[in-house]
Amino acid sequence: MKNAPARTPEITSVLVRTIAKLLFLPILVTAVAMLIKGYAQPGDGFSAGVVGALGILLQYLAFGRRTAERLPLVGFAGKGVFAGLLIALLVAATPVFLGQPVFTHYPPAGASVIYVGTIELITALLFDTAVFLMVMGFVLGGVQMIAQTIADEDEYRGPEATGPEFDASAGTDVEPSSGGGRR
Amino acid sequence: MTALSAAFSLAPLLPLLVALLAAPAAMLAGTLKPRLAAPVGTAFAALAFLATAFTWYRGGGTVDLAWAPTWGMRFTIALDGLAALYALLATGIGFLVLAYSSRYLPLHLDQEGRPEAEGARFYGFMLLFMGAMVGLAMAQDLVLLFVFWDLTAVASYYLIAYDRHDPDARASALMALLVTGITAVLLLIGALTLYATYGTLSVPDLAGSVEPGVTLTVAGLLIACAALAKSAQVPFHFWLPRAMAAPTPVSAYLHSAAMVAAGVLLLGRVYPLLEKSQFLLDVLLVVGLLSISVGAILALTRDVLKQLLAYSTISQYGYVVFLYGLGGEYGAAGAAFYVVSHALAKCALFLTAGAITEETGEDRLSRLGGLTKRLPLLAVASGAAAAGLAALPFTIGFFKDELLFEAALERGGLFAALSVLGAALTIAYTWRFWGGLFLGEGRDGAGSLPAALVWPVAVLGGLVLLGGLFVEPFALLAEAAGAASYGAPTPIEPAYHLDLRPTNLMAVGAFALGIAIVASRPLWERGALAVSRFGEVLGPERLYEWGVDALNRLSDYVHRAEVRDLRSRVAAILLPAGVLVGAGILVTPTVGAYRTGEVMRGDFPLLLALVVVAVAALTTTFTRRHVTLALVLSGAGFVLALVYAFLGAPEVTLVAVLVETFLTLLFLGTSKLIPYKVLHDQAKLPLGNQWRRVFFSCLASLFAFAVAWSALSQPAAENTVAEEHVRLAPDAHAQDTVSAILADFRALDTLGEVTVVALVILGVATLLNRGRLP
Repeated sequence: MKNAPARTPEITSVLVRTIAKLLFLPILVTAVAMLIKGYAQPGDGFSAGVVGALGILLQYLAFGRRTAERLPLVGFAGKGVFAGLLIALLVAATPVFLGQPVFTHYPPAGASVIYVGTIELITALLFDTAVFLMVMGFVLGGVQMIAQTIADEDEYRGPEATGPEFDASAGTDVEPSSGGGRR
Repeated sequence: MTALSAAFSLAPLLPLLVALLAAPAAMLAGTLKPRLAAPVGTAFAALAFLATAFTWYRGGGTVDLAWAPTWGMRFTIALDGLAALYALLATGIGFLVLAYSSRYLPLHLDQEGRPEAEGARFYGFMLLFMGAMVGLAMAQDLVLLFVFWDLTAVASYYLIAYDRHDPDARASALMALLVTGITAVLLLIGALTLYATYGTLSVPDLAGSVEPGVTLTVAGLLIACAALAKSAQVPFHFWLPRAMAAPTPVSAYLHSAAMVAAGVLLLGRVYPLLEKSQFLLDVLLVVGLLSISVGAILALTRDVLKQLLAYSTISQYGYVVFLYGLGGEYGAAGAAFYVVSHALAKCALFLTAGAITEETGEDRLSRLGGLTKRLPLLAVASGAAAAGLAALPFTIGFFKDELLFEAALERGGLFAALSVLGAALTIAYTWRFWGGLFLGEGRDGAGSLPAALVWPVAVLGGLVLLGGLFVEPFALLAEAAGAASYGAPTPIEPAYHLDLRPTNLMAVGAFALGIAIVASRPLWERGALAVSRFGEVLGPERLYEWGVDALNRLSDYVHRAEVRDLRSRVAAILLPAGVLVGAGILVTPTVGAYRTGEVMRGDFPLLLALVVVAVAALTTTFTRRHVTLALVLSGAGFVLALVYAFLGAPEVTLVAVLVETFLTLLFLGTSKLIPYKVLHDQAKLPLGNQWRRVFFSCLASLFAFAVAWSALSQPAAENTVAEEHVRLAPDAHAQDTVSAILADFRALDTLGEVTVVALVILGVATLLNRGRLP
């Protein structure tokens, strides 16, 4: 484990890549299902966000950071947090301007709901979507920043510098693959 | 209520909405194209001004929305006279200052070698300031007032520290934020004191129900403290001259229409409460007089242009506080009029100082002079403004002094004499500023100032003169503002009278005394300098410095104690928690509190899972390697998720599994951030004082165990919150109670939690990515 850089493409096997590719869409579909079915079944914006983010992290693992960040919208993950916060605040504040308390959801209790298939369209779902965006943005954005920092440091040390430094300290312990920093 | 009439009843929101939209609009334009921020921002300021004027012309109005009604908080804003006056000032002067900045700021950034793109920040915060001022002017609820109050403090912090490479600017910004921010808490305490007694936070409601007494005196003092600190009155005045580290347009705005004006705006807003207590009015009188004299004497000693103007602002707002303290119709309306006429003149003078520093590169009176030939238009325009500040006839300033004298006469001869002396001092330092800049021997040659640095000054100077000829519009606005403060019509009739009435005699006396002060400079100069030095040695700024120093030391101490050793930090949490909880358990009756149920055959898998959790927990106590530790901990977490599954809680299980997965990945990722050598060396360190750790862990876990046991032994009462939630979930269109709780019943909690998420990612970005979000 330790420093073994699983992120470098040459280490990930064909098997991992194939599985990652196969699972990508099903994971995202699962995430969306968890989100919109959250009011009827286990799952909500939070779980959906983590599942979706894990699905994308799998692509990071299999294909490397550069490739994964080319996926649509993944590069804007950090901003997604604030887009979500904005939506959440709007959902919270809009009823105030209609003369209702904060976080009044529509349609109100007992009123009829518009159905799309079996999905109920209620404003609580919008709030859950905001939470989804924030959680997904947080997980992806956080991991992106950590990955970026690791890459920067590896670049700073350089492959030559990495080897001896680790040799001196590693002793009999598991040797981290030297020069793993560069692709 | 139809949608149309609903929209119409929200019409008074228009100025606030436009003003609050301005900052994001300018920021957005700035990110698209740096050059766009200035025109978009200036246009929005003009638009906000027009929206305010239009809404006021349509008769103002009130919008009252339930914000948090169970706590008595309402979103109440109204465009009454007071609000209109300050909102028009904030947006109108904001427009002129931004127009000036559109030329000044590129020069400023260029001189400091900073990229043009940094301008967007400036416009964003200036307009945020403007929006906050409009909100503050219109707010009628004390908590809402507090929110906008703090928003102005935040905006001012970033504006004063706009030259962030300059340590002096940063220290000044911090000082302004601390002085006005800490006193802002007093405003909140005062508001809550009133709420505790009278059950409302609305200023108009409070005005009807407060009675003179200890509550009012205490609450009034607290609120007045906040207002006086914001208005830079003695003894809180020291932050204002320091805030001159800001770029000049910021100073101009801060002094004329925003930050400092906010203080007297609050006084005007809560005046109906303050006037019920003669003691509070007397406090205002004393503070006002002190500020008038301290500000004026120090203004006469300062050499740096902006410092001189800063002290003159302290002195001028001293007058406004003094007027409120005098009370009566003339006090309330006169204070409002004073604010308008001062804002026009002072803004023009600040912009003049900035233009001259741009032109000559000098910012000291002693190195400047004779600029009339070089900058004739600027000399005339700022001359008009200076005449307005000095209250010469044919300027709007003449009437501000007329009203001051009138109000002082109502209270008696002593106050009349003091106000004449104050007016004379004003003439003296204004002459020192304008005369020092434009008169005397000067070099010839044409000035090269861009037009945008001159015409805003000309507009303001023109307004000062216009107000001297046609005072009605300004007087009407001040009357409306005075009526909003005073609670009854406050007719003021500023006009020229060619007779020997007392106010005219006082004005003549002030002119004569002012000329005498200017002429006799050698006689009093040493005395004034001595006062200034005394203030530096023993002034309240010393107290501030000492306080900040002590806070820094305390913070360093806590930081050292906390960061030095992770284990002692954990112990510092576990030990008190264990002891306190243990004490709680020992004093609670134990009969029937600890019960054991029967272990069924079906519970076997559950018990097995719990044994695994226990083993994993024990393993963490002697694991040395960080990665192993992470894996063992996540192992415990996953098995706990299994336990939830056995107990039939799918939602909790799902969340537990996901959180464990993510935390494990995150931990492994962050441990990769630490150089391998450091991690490795640390893993080889001896485990330290083993027995102490075992003792702390055992103590804490023992008590935690006892608490959990006792809690589970008591059957829950009927009709708990949980049952209520389960019962109500179908009404919220939910079959899944947990989702309904998160998104509906306790949505406010969820909002708080996700806001923390947003803050954390900002923190991560600051630590790892130089503040840039991916």
